[in-house]
Amino acid sequence: MSSLKRAKGARTQSLFTKGALLTAALVLAPLGAFAQATAAPAKPAQSTSSATPAAKGERWLHVRVICNDAKGETVRVNVPLELAEKVLPAVNHDRLHDGKVKIDSAHVEDVDLRVLMDAIRTARDGEYVTVQGNENDVRVAKESNHLIIHVVDKGKGGSKNSQVEIKVPMKVIDALLSAGKDELDLVAALHALGAQGDTELVSVKDRENTVKVWLDSKNVSD
Amino acid sequence: MMLVAKAALGMGGALVLAGAYTFHEGVIRVDVDEYCAGGSHIHMWVPAAVVPMTLHLVPKHHLREAAERAREFLPLTHALIKELKKFPDADFVEVTDDDQHVQIRTHAGKLQIDVEEPDQNVHLLVPLSTLDDVTSQLELSAPGA
Repeated sequence: MSSLKRAKGARTQSLFTKGALLTAALVLAPLGAFAQATAAPAKPAQSTSSATPAAKGERWLHVRVICNDAKGETVRVNVPLELAEKVLPAVNHDRLHDGKVKIDSAHVEDVDLRVLMDAIRTARDGEYVTVQGNENDVRVAKESNHLIIHVVDKGKGGSKNSQVEIKVPMKVIDALLSAGKDELDLVAALHALGAQGDTELVSVKDRENTVKVWLDSKNVSD
Repeated sequence: MMLVAKAALGMGGALVLAGAYTFHEGVIRVDVDEYCAGGSHIHMWVPAAVVPMTLHLVPKHHLREAAERAREFLPLTHALIKELKKFPDADFVEVTDDDQHVQIRTHAGKLQIDVEEPDQNVHLLVPLSTLDDVTSQLELSAPGA
């Protein structure tokens, strides 16, 4: 009877031992897998150039510069407007403080930008400036609440040297000028920009570079 | 045998806890490869949780000095990291030409910087939470904090 009990006890003990070892192994296994998974990104992830829709409501400002030289350098910068809005006030350098940049009144040559922009805002859509010369064509217009500036540098030969197109929503300009005198409120402008739909803001094409600045809801440039 | 089992369980448990704590913030990965005569090849793999712990061991006066030097950039860095955490998978900067590639992006909550040139490759991967911890510690160590 006692030998039966001893045998039963030994079997229970052996079972417990095996169970404990198995539990330890099972518990440790995911740790190893986790360590491997953590180590996995060691290889640099390749560029994800496929357009990914950003989270709902996210607005991204994209800048793309393509050099037309032999090396074909391309620069792509994608900035979430929300990030820029939050980070910009933290930059205090030179003329930039609290998200506002000081403008040197000497550089605007006594032109009251605020009054000028107010005049444009209240005016009807139309062309304000049209200059057609041998070297340059300049067009400044207001169309569907956007200020449009179009400059074509024809160069001396008359062939198209460079072309600049700027299209800025009036609300963004208003926000930009909403700070005190001699100041541009960049954060307010970014905030106003965020409320706009997908739009191309700046396009510059010349012999050396192609620059494009635009706004959309994708978190990668095309 | 019973004793061995108990020891295995104890060790296993301790290892799990230590492992979970060490890896819960991921790893910092640094890879530098210089493809030239005598060029160095550095491949470093450090559990991110170790960094804030190590900072506690750094003599206070060294941290104060570092914080003093970085004082101008700390609010910007703090704001930037805080915002970057909201964008765990995004490409921010990419520069390419025929023989170079530079990329700054976030990937799975980590800041990833890759520089590939003909004569060297540098890859850096740091969890944003680790950068946040380091910045916070430096801010706390700044004189007058």
